[in-house]
Amino acid sequence: MSEFSVINTRAPRLDGPAKATGKAKYADDLSIPGMLHGAILQSPIAHGRILHIDTSRALKLPGVKAVVTAKEAGLIKYGVSPARYDETLYAHDKVRYVGDEIAAVAAVDPATAQEATGLIKVDYEELPAVFDMFEAMKEGAPLIHDEFPGNMNAEVHQEFSDTDGAMAACDLVVDHTFLNKRQDAAFIEPHSCLAVFDSDGRLTLHTSTQVPHYVMRTLAMVLRIPVGNVRVVKPYVGGGFGPKCEATPLEMSAAFLARMTGKPVKMTYSREQVFLHSRARHQFYAEMSLGVMKDGTMVAVRNKAILDGGAYTSFGIATVYYSGSLLGGPYNLKAMKYDGYRVYTNKPACGAQRGHGGVVHRAAFEQLIDLTAEKLGIDPVEIRLKNIMQAGDITVNDLNMSSLGMKECIEAVRDGSDWKNKKGKLPKGKGIGMACGFFVSGAGYPIYRSDTYHSTVVIKMSEDGGTATVLTGSAEIGQGSDTIVAMIAAETLGITLDNVRVVSGDTDLSVDLGAYSSRQTLMTGHATKEAAEQIRTRIAEVLSEEMGCEPSSITFRDGIVMFDGKPGNFEKLRSSYIKEHRGWTDPPTGDYLTFREAARLAYLKGGTMVGTGKYKPPKLGGAYKGAAVGTSPAYGCSAQIVEVSVDMDTGEITIDKMTDAHDCGLAINRTLVEGQMQGSLSMGLGECLFEEVKFDSRGRILNPSLGEYRIPTSLDMPSVKSIIVESREPNGPYGAKEVGEGAIMPTIPAILNALYDATGARINELPVTSERLYLALQKNKTEQNL
Amino acid sequence: MLLPKFHYHEPSTLEEALQLLSELGGNAKVLAGGTDLLVRMKQKIDMPSHVISIARIPGLSSITPRNGHGVSIGSAVTAAALAKDELMRDRFAPLALAAGRLGAPMIRNRATIGGNLVNGRPAADLSPPCMVLGATLKLKSLSGEREVSVNDFFRGPGDVFIEPNELLVSINLQTPPPWSGGSYTKLGARKTLEISMVNVATLITLQSPDGPIVEARIALGAVAPTPVRAFAAEEFLIGRNPSEELFRQAGEIGVGMCSPITDHRGTMEYRCMMIEVLTRRSLVEALVQARSWKS
Amino acid sequence: MKTIINLIVNDQPVEAAVEPNRTLLQLLREDLGLTGTKHGCGLGDCGACTIIMDGQPVNSCLVLAVQANGREVLTIEGLADNGKLHPIQQAFVDNGAIQCGFCTPGMILSAKALLDENPRPTENEIRTAISGNLCRCTGYQKIVEAVQEAAKSIDGTEVS
Repeated sequence: MSEFSVINTRAPRLDGPAKATGKAKYADDLSIPGMLHGAILQSPIAHGRILHIDTSRALKLPGVKAVVTAKEAGLIKYGVSPARYDETLYAHDKVRYVGDEIAAVAAVDPATAQEATGLIKVDYEELPAVFDMFEAMKEGAPLIHDEFPGNMNAEVHQEFSDTDGAMAACDLVVDHTFLNKRQDAAFIEPHSCLAVFDSDGRLTLHTSTQVPHYVMRTLAMVLRIPVGNVRVVKPYVGGGFGPKCEATPLEMSAAFLARMTGKPVKMTYSREQVFLHSRARHQFYAEMSLGVMKDGTMVAVRNKAILDGGAYTSFGIATVYYSGSLLGGPYNLKAMKYDGYRVYTNKPACGAQRGHGGVVHRAAFEQLIDLTAEKLGIDPVEIRLKNIMQAGDITVNDLNMSSLGMKECIEAVRDGSDWKNKKGKLPKGKGIGMACGFFVSGAGYPIYRSDTYHSTVVIKMSEDGGTATVLTGSAEIGQGSDTIVAMIAAETLGITLDNVRVVSGDTDLSVDLGAYSSRQTLMTGHATKEAAEQIRTRIAEVLSEEMGCEPSSITFRDGIVMFDGKPGNFEKLRSSYIKEHRGWTDPPTGDYLTFREAARLAYLKGGTMVGTGKYKPPKLGGAYKGAAVGTSPAYGCSAQIVEVSVDMDTGEITIDKMTDAHDCGLAINRTLVEGQMQGSLSMGLGECLFEEVKFDSRGRILNPSLGEYRIPTSLDMPSVKSIIVESREPNGPYGAKEVGEGAIMPTIPAILNALYDATGARINELPVTSERLYLALQKNKTEQNL
Repeated sequence: MLLPKFHYHEPSTLEEALQLLSELGGNAKVLAGGTDLLVRMKQKIDMPSHVISIARIPGLSSITPRNGHGVSIGSAVTAAALAKDELMRDRFAPLALAAGRLGAPMIRNRATIGGNLVNGRPAADLSPPCMVLGATLKLKSLSGEREVSVNDFFRGPGDVFIEPNELLVSINLQTPPPWSGGSYTKLGARKTLEISMVNVATLITLQSPDGPIVEARIALGAVAPTPVRAFAAEEFLIGRNPSEELFRQAGEIGVGMCSPITDHRGTMEYRCMMIEVLTRRSLVEALVQARSWKS
Repeated sequence: MKTIINLIVNDQPVEAAVEPNRTLLQLLREDLGLTGTKHGCGLGDCGACTIIMDGQPVNSCLVLAVQANGREVLTIEGLADNGKLHPIQQAFVDNGAIQCGFCTPGMILSAKALLDENPRPTENEIRTAISGNLCRCTGYQKIVEAVQEAAKSIDGTEVS
């Protein structure tokens, strides 16, 4: 008999048929009779003082029902981290980027709302703007926020052990720099929401979000509605990847307009507005040094990060910490020093995106490891195997690797890709490269300082029929969390998956911090397991009284009940049940008591059964400043090996093969885990080769479209050999931990290391367009000829 | 994204269409597949007060062979139809190949050869193939009709020699002589859905399968304000025995014909280097096709 | 000024009065309540709005409603047969080819158009057929596997 009956399988996801038939409703599919449509007026200039706003002509346009500016909405500051609430919904004194919100209009149809925004007259005094993060730090640069001199949004300085001393004792210190470009998450569904107030002043906001809980809090705060009167409901969501992790001006505008007009208000971003809103991956500059002994032992790391944060903080405080903290593992280090700087510029604000702050510095570091390995004459796989941590090790920055299948991942990709027979043996123009990475399985602390539980879950058993309804505020955004929750509930209760229903993404149901930092499988999973255990315990208690046996002797599996592993004498129970259901033609049959009979009995004895579960991580991390960021109850890890072909005449890159191994602790659903792995690799490939948000000299985005901001198509992405490693995380429900973000960490450096193997060109700037590679190849040729 | 308001006309005969064009001329845009015009209208780059759809006009959507000497392609023939058509693939390969690389499947099902040519974008996929195939364009208006060589059709970016009252009705190609072969190559960032950074169409004719080149045509896109013929490179090839080194030299000469720009897709320097590489490769492929010519 | 158009949508005749600047996508989603077809970009870059018109997959965001007059349109809602999933839909469900689901309707219809014309496609032909449908979630692999399985499943039920 297999260890599990529901989890660790390839059960089809619960919402597959709804999505495959077009029945699934996303925010823009929703409609309420009488609803109005909203549009936002955004700044056309990158930096300026607002002298005057005149909304009178807009208000007079037939079909316009309300116009809201800072005057009506107020100036309550919000953001993501309370320590850096630096945004007001609408600009009142200054605009700080092209796209900064100034007003919103509600009208009878989208075209009228759009037209009305064009009738709002704003007088600006244009100010000099700064678009480059290095320029923004210089003396005399235009000041974007008065309270932040030097445009320094956040500075982090951390040192663990004497790094200079440790470096001095090394046989070799290698330096490296790296630069990426600002990204966009490019989810296919633009943000959309529908706000409606009921006659009691209670707000319901349907919105495409990853975090109903945080959106609820922000709306309550900014609209000054008692928090118990705000309900955020997440419909189906067409991808999030990070930027949908905070309340948006779209949502707040819809809510204000709904309150002002007394009508439901629908608002949806155009694709261009999605780019203008951003809150996606920062541009990072990395400068780092790795100190090693000549046998390849890693000793110390010096790491510097400069982040282009755009005009507001968004998630940026966490981001600038993660760029440092996420280098603490998965290799043993004796010392680490980190200096991070997040800089304001007059561009859309950057936030969290898959891998949050860790992706670019991991890429730089994994490339640096390869550089170092080459200088030492050690194979890249071997040097990593030599230095990886083990389960139970603690990083220099106090992150506890409670489970870490790093060795298994490396060996799996090494063998799965035939590395030994390929490395150094491929013809010119073909290359193979590898890299590793790791990531948190849920942030150790909520975004706002609080003792709140990170997840609570309620499971209600049907009074008859033995079906469970799981009520959870967690957010299914495509990753499959509803299915995971259902599978954990089914496994724990001992019933089949088709007897579990999930209702989710609604702040009325429970507290859940949402889909970010790869937390839901572990945290919501724990809460679900606890809630299910409560119910199972209750049913076992009732049965034990009825059957005269110990509760601990009762097991539930696959919808049947066993007493000391045996059927037991349940005739009386069954005949009562059948009598109670006279006329039914599908009575319970079989040698064992069924779960539905047992659950029915428990109801008859004690009324409706509800189980509640809750989870918050224990106090984690060290005592130093910023220690919280990077902490997690568990860490997923992965290794990737990529094979590339380069057209040496044009610089065009083809990714031929990708072999990926990810330690997710235990795969609750194997298909969903693979899906996260493959999707992460696809995003990593895009960010490595194509993706870049480009600006003109006036701070306007040059490529705010999916035609010119290029994500991989089906012809760009190869097939991936996905290998699941299961290290059985002690802090995870059934041993499970993350896969949603960690899998992207090795992708960029594995490709870059493969490109070096293929061409001898070490590219440390993204994206690696054919032109960038071509120029590097030419430079190499010239240098070789000298 | 919303389209601006406009008056819509759907003439059911050519005469009706020409009448409308004559009346509305400068205030109207012709709508064929819509994959270019409707995009530009949504982006508020074009805001015509009248849109004239040619969808119902008979006779514009056929590929009509002409007695083995050539083919007449209706201006409303889609890229998908061109890519699939056996005659196009067999005798007019550069055009069939280019049509198959235009955009992506859904775009190809709507984009038309007429639209692609008349939009006159420097990076258009179908312009260079039409140029190397010596296409003549038939333009009609109420006052009559005229034929113009595609090589004389492009004036500047988005600017072609068509009058506001004219409609492009067909594109006529002569079948290349025996021992001809051609190709089309395109460089973009991704493998599909791309507007070219550089594109090249070539057509060569050999005297005999092992013989020298008697005719050579090279057209380059996205590297000048209009697609251009690399005449100097073509002349260089004539009379010579084909080889990869010869084609490399032709590519070098081709670079001299171009004035590419630096934009957010690529720099001028890179485009120039790529002209050389892609021209060489396109000619190599054209040679393979020419040598395997079958009657 | 509105014109009356008549078209067949999912085998049902439909009559509507539309402004010239209304797209087929707007007609489907807003006038007919068929919200299965999605708006991802509006410019033909993403394929989320793919429907099949007169047998060919097209971006409905770039088709005017008036251009659909007299035509046959198939949307995702028209694929299942009285609640029974089409083999392609079933294959997507069974193979993990769906994550957020937003690209799914367009993706399935592109696959259908392919298999209608080419019942035994190679992997490259499948990837080319869906090359205009962007997916940010799956990396395409399980989508390709689903189409391969659907091809076998449909082919297997064909009368030889």
